[in-house]
Amino acid sequence: MLSRHAESLFWTGRYVERAGDTARMLDVTYHALLESPHAEAQRTWRELLEVLKLNDAFRAVNDHVSARTVTRFLVIDQTNPGAIVPSIGRARENARSVRELISTELWEAINTFWLELQGRDLEAEIQHQPYEVYRLVKRRCQEIAGSAMETMPHDDGWRFLQLGWMLERAAIVCRLVNVRTRRYTAGDDELDFYAAVELLKSASGLEAFRKSHPGGMTLANVIGFLLLSPTFPRSVLFSVRAAETRLTQLAAGPMSRPQRVLGRLRGDLEYADPVELLAGDLHGFLDRVDEDLRGITDLVGVQFFRNAEEISVLHALGHVG
Amino acid sequence: MNISFPGRSPHVARTYPAAVTADVFRGYEQAGYFDEVFAADGTVRAHYEDVVARLRRLSSTELSRRERLRDDAFRAAGITFTVYGEDQGVERTFPMDLVPRVIPAEEWATIEAGLVQRVTALNRFLDDLYAGERAAVRDGIVPSWLVTSSDGFRREAFGVPVPHGARCLVAGIDLVRDIDGTYRVLEDNLRNPSGISYVLENRAAMTRVLPHIFGSLPVRPVDHYGLSLLSALQHVAPPSAGSNPTVVVLTPGSYNSAYFEHTFLARQMGVELVEGRDLVVEDHVVSMRTTRGLQRVDVIYRRIDDDFLDPVVFRSDSTIGVPGLMAAARAGNVTLSNAVGNGVADDKAVYAFVPALIEYYLGEEAILPNCETYLLWEEDQRAMVTERIDQLVVKPVAESGGYGMLIGPAASDEECAAMCRRIEENPRGYIAQEVVSLSRHPTLVGDHLEGRHVDLRPFVLSGETIEVIPGGLTRVALREGSLVVNSSQGGGSKDTWILQGDEDKDDDVDEDDA
Repeated sequence: MLSRHAESLFWTGRYVERAGDTARMLDVTYHALLESPHAEAQRTWRELLEVLKLNDAFRAVNDHVSARTVTRFLVIDQTNPGAIVPSIGRARENARSVRELISTELWEAINTFWLELQGRDLEAEIQHQPYEVYRLVKRRCQEIAGSAMETMPHDDGWRFLQLGWMLERAAIVCRLVNVRTRRYTAGDDELDFYAAVELLKSASGLEAFRKSHPGGMTLANVIGFLLLSPTFPRSVLFSVRAAETRLTQLAAGPMSRPQRVLGRLRGDLEYADPVELLAGDLHGFLDRVDEDLRGITDLVGVQFFRNAEEISVLHALGHVG
Repeated sequence: MNISFPGRSPHVARTYPAAVTADVFRGYEQAGYFDEVFAADGTVRAHYEDVVARLRRLSSTELSRRERLRDDAFRAAGITFTVYGEDQGVERTFPMDLVPRVIPAEEWATIEAGLVQRVTALNRFLDDLYAGERAAVRDGIVPSWLVTSSDGFRREAFGVPVPHGARCLVAGIDLVRDIDGTYRVLEDNLRNPSGISYVLENRAAMTRVLPHIFGSLPVRPVDHYGLSLLSALQHVAPPSAGSNPTVVVLTPGSYNSAYFEHTFLARQMGVELVEGRDLVVEDHVVSMRTTRGLQRVDVIYRRIDDDFLDPVVFRSDSTIGVPGLMAAARAGNVTLSNAVGNGVADDKAVYAFVPALIEYYLGEEAILPNCETYLLWEEDQRAMVTERIDQLVVKPVAESGGYGMLIGPAASDEECAAMCRRIEENPRGYIAQEVVSLSRHPTLVGDHLEGRHVDLRPFVLSGETIEVIPGGLTRVALREGSLVVNSSQGGGSKDTWILQGDEDKDDDVDEDDA
């Protein structure tokens, strides 16, 4: 298939996943902080920006961190390409350019969501009933994911869509764990129960965790679950495996560079032990996973979308993050 | 003249006892124009008898129901084009009138012969000019200054080879019928003629919406167009391409007014629809970027204007083109269709010389005459035109789509005066023509039929042979009295039925046997 088409599908997946994850994390953070002291709240909002790697972008347009400023920045701010509304706008632009390759159901799911966002007074809604906004975003993103799964042939186009989707999910959940566990020091398995619940909820994993670890809410268990669960579809390992499957199907011939890096990363995760990680350098490990995931996106670009020279030019111009 | 129905045609009255409570033809007037359906004495022309009889049996409510069916079909398929100039480009459907245009076999045979002759001569002229000895210019058939001053003339195309000289691979020749029914060429479209997708979609819609009318006549099919186009494009592949050349359609992108047609044609041919950024030129070889690496491209059916095709050679600010494309074409590694520089031959002033070019290259008289055209750099003709401008049509030589033209009888004194000034400033930039009182065709207006002006754009492919698609886009001026049929000027269209002659039927039998 044409590289341009593949790239559009890859980014359609990424943008939709990002919008859904952002809504999920905003929802949890907002409701958890309703009763928290001010200083605690500020730290939590700052961490959320960090998970999304948007601290610098946020500081460029806001002078203080509060529920209002961060929420606005992450939902509707047009200057923030990672915000929910612009993300869906970009997903739609990308989907439109491959309209001939995707199913009508998938196109309509994306397009009607975009039109719905345009028709609402989000500025007011995120102040007064943010829950409804986040619920809408989560549901529509699930509808888009479902349409893609159910109505598109699982061919190369669909594989690129899924590849972008899974790489984005792995990166966000990895950073979520990394940032939210920073308050714990090495060897510390004392668990702040509420913080752990928030962490699991931010990845829609609380219910699944309780089922797989009845009565066992330890830090090692929570981290192990979010990073390494082979069955929970939002765990880092699960997402990395899914991405690897798509990549293997896409790559014809000898093992390509993105395949090699992704395979190595999957191996690192498969053999990781949460207790060991907690006793040792959990954050160093997660930083490396995050870096690898970013590297894989670049390598996928080089392999399938454009040549290395162009990538470096785009990096220099700040278009690839 | 008022044609009163029912019962004017004895044949109709005899065959179909009338259900005439709300005859769709009630009050139909020919108003002195050549009517496609009715002869001057009000009788139905023989080739329309079945269609008229069947239409008359449909009630108004039934017709509106079918119109809704048609609208649903078009909207669902997303068959739209973009109108510029209002609200920065609005997507519209191209309205298809439910009453088809019918052309009998013997009439079509003349049109076909005339089109083959004309396109043959135009291909010869362009190949002579860009890759030959420029004989027509040398021998004074077309003045050299006229050629080089044409907006469509491209010095950069000199020496760029086109296999078999098929420079107008796809030509759309606009025909009109004058007051006595003679088919005349109104203009040639040799760069990127659009509209073929409507020909095919109209036919698909008609067979669904009015199947019993369609089934009443032996209509020649048009749906092989994609295959014919693909084989013509493969035929012009450079020799280096081998036996299975890679063809692509090059589009400016989804914001272009004809984007629907570009996707349609790529689908019909089963080839990739690429944008400029999908193509790269290395060592004068064109490739497209795919997820499995670079794939060589041999023939590009490009729907991008010359000016934007290659920023190295043409407009350097073009972001939709492909740097190095012309050099690759010159090296003979890729064929661009239609060829670069064709605009010189569909320049509306050069048009006046086409009958002479036919005579020169083929030694034949033009089968399809031109419309009477005045060349404004000739002082006597310019003086006459200035005098009679309120009775004439004035067109800019390089525009298409009806943009910038003046229709004298419909224009205000100020508009006429302004046009005269523009002509004085740039006599080469315009031509004037007598108003052709385009033929009219019954067209659904509300719940009944009224006469509306029509033209016809048949499509001609220069492949192994020159093939005229049996059909074409009949465009209809939907506004009463309007002579402008362009889609961009609010026109509509009709499905156009070419009837099989005895010869065609024999051909079919042969094919079935084989």
